[in-house]
Amino acid sequence: MVRQVSMDSFLLSLSNLASGWVIVAAFAGVLWGILGGALPGISPSIAMALLLPFTVGMDPTTALVLLASVYVGAEYGGSIPAILIRTPGTNSASATVIDGYEMAKQGRAGEALGISLMSGLIGGLFGLLVLVLATESLAKVALAFTPAAYFSLGILGLSVIAGLAGGSMLRGVIAASIGLMIAFIGSDPVSGVQRFTFGSADLLDGVKPILVMVGLFAVTEMLVQIGEPPWARGGQSSTKLKLPDWAMSKRLFKPQAIGAVIGTIEGVTPGAGGTIAAFMAYSEAKRWSKHPEEFGKGSPEGVAAPESANNVVTATALVPLLSLGIPGSNSAAILLGGFLIHGLQPGPMLFQKAPEVVYGLYGGLFIANIAMLLIGLVILGPCMWLVNRPKPYLIAFILALVMSGVFAIHQSIFECGLVLAIGVLGYGMRLLRLPVLPLVLGLVLGYLVESNYRRSLLISGGEHSIFLTDPVSALLLAIALVLSVYTGWKEFGSRKKESL
Amino acid sequence: MKDRTVDRITGVLGVAMSSTYVLHARSIEDSMLADAVGAAGVPTGVGVMLALASLALLLKTLRSAADDLTDETAEPETDASDVARHPHAMAAGLLAILAVYVALLPVLGYVLSIGLLIGAVAWFAGARQLLSVIACMVLAGPLLWLLFDWALEIRLPVGLWPQWLGK
Repeated sequence: MVRQVSMDSFLLSLSNLASGWVIVAAFAGVLWGILGGALPGISPSIAMALLLPFTVGMDPTTALVLLASVYVGAEYGGSIPAILIRTPGTNSASATVIDGYEMAKQGRAGEALGISLMSGLIGGLFGLLVLVLATESLAKVALAFTPAAYFSLGILGLSVIAGLAGGSMLRGVIAASIGLMIAFIGSDPVSGVQRFTFGSADLLDGVKPILVMVGLFAVTEMLVQIGEPPWARGGQSSTKLKLPDWAMSKRLFKPQAIGAVIGTIEGVTPGAGGTIAAFMAYSEAKRWSKHPEEFGKGSPEGVAAPESANNVVTATALVPLLSLGIPGSNSAAILLGGFLIHGLQPGPMLFQKAPEVVYGLYGGLFIANIAMLLIGLVILGPCMWLVNRPKPYLIAFILALVMSGVFAIHQSIFECGLVLAIGVLGYGMRLLRLPVLPLVLGLVLGYLVESNYRRSLLISGGEHSIFLTDPVSALLLAIALVLSVYTGWKEFGSRKKESL
Repeated sequence: MKDRTVDRITGVLGVAMSSTYVLHARSIEDSMLADAVGAAGVPTGVGVMLALASLALLLKTLRSAADDLTDETAEPETDASDVARHPHAMAAGLLAILAVYVALLPVLGYVLSIGLLIGAVAWFAGARQLLSVIACMVLAGPLLWLLFDWALEIRLPVGLWPQWLGK
């Protein structure tokens, strides 16, 4: 039985911060995480794994705070290159590219980075509050997810394609189909049979989403930029970080709240992750915005929603780990390793056996979010200065960083070539005006949808009714249906209006 | 290009791609562990979905002449500067440089290859200050190597130099 965590626990966790090493660990972890997250190819889990051996001799609380802070920093750091150079440093920063980079192109990089920083902070603190106050009840939600519910969760994710398709549902479906096709490359999730590998051993494990995102966003953008005139950026004004003022903060409240709710649900669901949360938050923020027409053209709300969502996930993803011992993501698995190194087993008994470590971790996460704000304020100015260098050198260094980061993932020359091929695909899609975001969504959700669809049918003996008899699955499918019908109706209505 | 032309090309390519994909999916042999859906089941479904969406896009191009007019007015304006640098040729050139980098990486090693990549791309993109380009080439390789190999402990290719130098 998971112990009820109350506000008293939160206060106890704050008192654990008396140890100066926890504060040092939180700042160092966030700094390291931002560096790792900002480098394409270095995922949050890799940045955490690199520090894991160094935590062996540390006090358990300090070690876990260090690792969790890397996670917080990396998830935030991924959005810096996403906004400045259209290169998402992490998978979950892909949705931030859409409006963040548009704002940067309009000379509003400082504003976009300020919104990203504040939304990340708000999301991170909200997620922490959820983690502290609702771990027990949310753990039950995680346990309620059967394969049928996971399948329906994937369908719900795919239902936002219309919102990401830039006004053409058909083009969105075509792009999402290409993403799903890429997701099916590699070993079949049920039987292990090779599919679409063309005999290549390099494709047996499939195509990693980060390779597709780096190729589609960064390489494609450089292929386009090389033939265009020098940057049309805002000069000096774009090198100043601009935090949202009161009026802007009021406008951003709704998308941040949407991101917080979606991030909470996706975070506590093992395997769902920040990428799906960010895309869904973006789509829902657009749906409920008073200015949906600004999305995709540099909308501040389009930056706030995904940034809030993926930073909420950094805390809520720890719910299944702490309460059930289930690592729902690669980063949570590394954190689990951190627990095990110190002889601690996450799960229901952790709150009774080592409450000081749990509350210390909560306190450390609080400090990590503050550290993210302070470090962000210091480093964002130099980052903006860097991307305002002369275009030829900037293109050269971006590509050098991208190609180095891609090689760093698996030390594979093949993957470097694959990223170039995906860059060409992205270039072709631009020529044909196909939206890339549905492709990314299809790619991210492909495995989740297929594997759980087939597992569900194995459980039910081939009966498709399992998707309707499972209450969570039925609820998710109903939401997906309502959202799709609503979007279709809205699109039809706006077209009718235009034709009048 | 006009929207209609783009739709036609997309539709034709989509149908061709889906046909090839479904044919390939149907040729996947299931193992003894296969379930009722099979390894080809879901990919085939997605292939059919792509085909249907592509066909629908093609059908859309058979709209009335009135829509033609709409298409023309909807055509985004092209700035003369957009085509001034032959964008597709420039993109192909950049891609060729990147492909040469990927081919040279295991041969020349990381430090030299990345330096050459930076120099070549900067020059190709329009940098004409020779000293600056050379400085970037010389400094970038070791700096990036320090970042990835030393700080992040990610092993980078050393190339065939040890073999050539008889080590």
